[in-house]
Amino acid sequence: MAQEIYYEDVNVGDAMPELVKGPLQKLQHVMYAGASGDFNPLHTDDDFAKAVGMKDGVIAHGMLIMGIVGQAITGWIPRKDLKKFGVRFAGMTKPGNTITVTGSVTDKRVEDGNNIIVCEVAAKDENGDVKVTGKFEAALPSKA
Amino acid sequence: MADLSKVGTEYSPITWEVERGKIRELAKAIGDPNPIYLDKDAAVAEGYKDTPASLTFLTVPMMWADKMPAVINDLKINFMMVLHGEEEYEYYQSIYPGDVITGTPKVTKMEEKTSKSGSKMDMVTMEVLYTNQRGEKVAKARSLLVERK
Repeated sequence: MAQEIYYEDVNVGDAMPELVKGPLQKLQHVMYAGASGDFNPLHTDDDFAKAVGMKDGVIAHGMLIMGIVGQAITGWIPRKDLKKFGVRFAGMTKPGNTITVTGSVTDKRVEDGNNIIVCEVAAKDENGDVKVTGKFEAALPSKA
Repeated sequence: MADLSKVGTEYSPITWEVERGKIRELAKAIGDPNPIYLDKDAAVAEGYKDTPASLTFLTVPMMWADKMPAVINDLKINFMMVLHGEEEYEYYQSIYPGDVITGTPKVTKMEEKTSKSGSKMDMVTMEVLYTNQRGEKVAKARSLLVERK
């Protein structure tokens, strides 16, 4: 899906293609719990979630939102080129939220013979509330 | 609250055989339609040996091997009060179906912090280095867990 992208074609300030997903459904929490093995009932059981202080019930796994950011990244940059990907979980995501992932290139450099690009990414909901901020690095092929 | 004396503890490794179906299942759960995670032929057509593990796949062995709950328990962290603060991966090479990966979790940092509102929390950093069946490093994961007190 991601076409080969060359180092020479990426410039600081370039935007990553935006990804919009949602509204997210509780059913997806169940699917993600099964796939990932994270069965914390905070994500699947409204009664439990309310009992531990979430007044609206379940919240999404943070790693599901990181996975959605990952979808945006490898929809653009081929998976095999990725070297680092890290996020900070900044806010809780609830069923009904629509998540928009954006990103932009903040640096590019040649390091140990690798053509590295650095991008900052963020996931926000429909109100602009930040769920995840992060950064990734990829080593791209050169046309040279 | 977390037992801060446990910093530096290295836990016994987990070993996990990577399956094509699990790679696909995680992509489906995320809702990622990228065919390289779903279909071997599509992955091969894009230059992969098979369907590669996606960027966040390494959460799967840690959770399914029951390692993370066991470590949290050993660190005397109250599971109900834990928030996932940060997650970071370094990728050294692709992980494919049939690979048998081994991950060794280590607690690299533990500290108590006080928030602006005055509430205290323990910050626990865990690193897991993953190797494959050939003994090659494939990835490193770093997780920051925050325990509210």
